[in-house]
Amino acid sequence: MTAAALAAALLLLQGPADSQAPGDAKAPAKGAIKGKGKGKGKARPTGPTPRLADGKVDFSGIWSGGGPVGDITPGVMPGEEISLTPWGKKIMDSHQSKDDPEANCLPTGIPRIAPYPWRILQTSTHIFYLFEGNIHSFRQIFIDGRKHLADPDPTWYGDSIGSWEGDTLVVDTIGFNDKFWFDFRGHPHSEQLHTIERITRPDLGTLDIETQIIDPTAYTKPFKIKFTAALRPGEELMEYICQENQQDAQHLQGPAGLP
Amino acid sequence: MGAKILVLAATLGAAAIPVLAHHSFAAEYDDKKPIKFENVVVTKVDWTNPHARFYVDVKDEKGTVTNWNFELASPNVLKRNGWTKSTLKEGDRVSVLGSAAKDGAHLGHAQTVTLPDGKRVFAGSNTADGQ
Repeated sequence: MTAAALAAALLLLQGPADSQAPGDAKAPAKGAIKGKGKGKGKARPTGPTPRLADGKVDFSGIWSGGGPVGDITPGVMPGEEISLTPWGKKIMDSHQSKDDPEANCLPTGIPRIAPYPWRILQTSTHIFYLFEGNIHSFRQIFIDGRKHLADPDPTWYGDSIGSWEGDTLVVDTIGFNDKFWFDFRGHPHSEQLHTIERITRPDLGTLDIETQIIDPTAYTKPFKIKFTAALRPGEELMEYICQENQQDAQHLQGPAGLP
Repeated sequence: MGAKILVLAATLGAAAIPVLAHHSFAAEYDDKKPIKFENVVVTKVDWTNPHARFYVDVKDEKGTVTNWNFELASPNVLKRNGWTKSTLKEGDRVSVLGSAAKDGAHLGHAQTVTLPDGKRVFAGSNTADGQ
């Protein structure tokens, strides 16, 4: 193969034009993000916002994106900034790629989203996120009016309670462990992390998730990020057991960085 | 026939390959050093998570054979892209274009694989939504 032919081939391998991560889009001002997966190259499906029998917005469906996959910074909302405390900077600077929990087949925590489809199941009392990947696990949000646990154990997804403000579901989560990173870059947090997510489904194919990150140990002030998930109609989750044959972490080099 | 090994010049390294998986691509592979192995024999296929993998025997100019391990996307992503578990089989002669591991291991990320029938298939993780 000549160099020229090879260069041409490599150009073809740049990937599809719609290779921007839905979760990494600079929402919300960028407008519509193209659908992915089976809908690759097509716009997100459109239609009215689905509702349950009680009139509440129904978030059910298979989604992709909706949080930082590789880098949280594109999701930072206008007027907001990520401002690390000295402790937070020290922790972030210490992070090595090989230690990324996600690379080691551990959960993403919140607000990170793995680059795999996930499903929302919703009842009048509970919302479940079923994750295909990283890990093949679930997150639960109680929307039955209960309060937070008085003394929650530190966990990967925390203790999440949701309440409605009109068509917006407000999910308040505490009780996190300090083990997960927000992205490949290693943005850290402490067990003091408190997230407030405002989740809306403005139309059939769009799930907007605005998350306020509150963690005075790691960040000098709260900040808000927004990512948009795209509906993947006709898709089904498939089994994905990350621990089965993980060979990557031991080959990852250098400080945590961009994807 | 020995495999032809091309380590491509870094000047072609503009081929930044958009990849997102459960790990950082850039921390594991060097997209400025694309590699291409032609007419190599598949010795094993792992249809496993988090990545499907295949192994090929590569013979250098001195006749020394080295077994290389190539990372593919996850089986689910490959299936969504049209692969099946038998698309790539032990004993197949294939050509592989990809990126080598930064740590010098005989490990690569496969971007495309040319199958025995000449069909070239996308093997990697093409977008952020399902690698």
